[in-house]
Amino acid sequence: MTEDSTPTPGRERSTRRGSTRAAEATLLLRQHTDAGWTAIEGTVIARALAAFRPSAPVRGRHDLGDFLVASDVVVARLREAVDAVRGGAAQRITCSTGERDELEQVTIQLVAAYGPPLLDLADAVHVVALACLQELLGTLAPTGEQVRVHVHIGDVSDDPRVVS
Amino acid sequence: MDPDSPGSSTAEPADGPEAGPVPDEVLTRRAALGDKAAFAELMGRLGPGLYRYLLRLLDDRGDADDCVQETLLAAWKGLPGFRGESSVRTWLFVLGRHEAQAVLRRRARVPASGSVPVVDVHEAAADLRDLRADPEGDTISVELLAALDASLLLLPERQRSVWILREVEDLSYAEIAEVVQTTPAAVRGLLQRARTTIATTLEDWR
Repeated sequence: MTEDSTPTPGRERSTRRGSTRAAEATLLLRQHTDAGWTAIEGTVIARALAAFRPSAPVRGRHDLGDFLVASDVVVARLREAVDAVRGGAAQRITCSTGERDELEQVTIQLVAAYGPPLLDLADAVHVVALACLQELLGTLAPTGEQVRVHVHIGDVSDDPRVVS
Repeated sequence: MDPDSPGSSTAEPADGPEAGPVPDEVLTRRAALGDKAAFAELMGRLGPGLYRYLLRLLDDRGDADDCVQETLLAAWKGLPGFRGESSVRTWLFVLGRHEAQAVLRRRARVPASGSVPVVDVHEAAADLRDLRADPEGDTISVELLAALDASLLLLPERQRSVWILREVEDLSYAEIAEVVQTTPAAVRGLLQRARTTIATTLEDWR
């Protein structure tokens, strides 16, 4: 004897009801922000930002002697300087150091605004990057040959939100 | 990204209202280069979805809080190495699930004591609050959400992950496959089973 597997009208109604409620509940959950997140948002973001990003040290020199600064800090300062240049934004910045942690090479990859001459932008970025490194690293900062600052245009965008 | 999806950018535009919000990719790039404000804004956008996912994966607010903290720490530290092969949102869910699995493994090693965990009723109600004006509608919404959460607990972890990431967070099958470390075809199967279980469970909800 076999059981009839044909769904009854009642069963179909029940299944439809379940699917409808699941859809309603899904919609609610999409719009829902848990109170838990609201309560911890500020704290968890602040704690994450207080964490140290492991990065190589870079040697600087001022009147009182040598000091070391994390390359992560160098990168952050360079980004600020580069992003302030109109028509360009930093896409990737890498630093290479030598045996005594002296900065040997900086590579700055840029996103450029569509339209303005790219060589002018690259020159402007080169100037502000050198000035920024000088301020940060003192007499160990690049003076032309000491550190080479390479500027690459990695992307061109006409979106004002991407390039200021 | 679907502009209506929960993880979509909703923050105030940085360059005037006509320019629209700064895209997640731009904030990610800036945050990777040490811009803390960009990281805070990015997490402000993506955090609610991450928390929603982890809370339902772990079913414990304390564990979810810790897990979100660890995920954000991992994100901040890991961003300089993030190559953008997936969206930052998907990457965040990968990190989050990794942290959640560590919690679930620890739980599995500790034998159950048989005691019932203490649940603060007010806290649970606040968790489920849907910020809408209509008080009656509010109650029904809270109850329906609670029923959904209860039905999610019936699902194995991978089905639960797949269902939330697809139905609530609107990730593609390929993105979900990356998060749960399987194939898009397997995601399809897991999703189907999860949908069936949830619909069946909610059939009898009043």
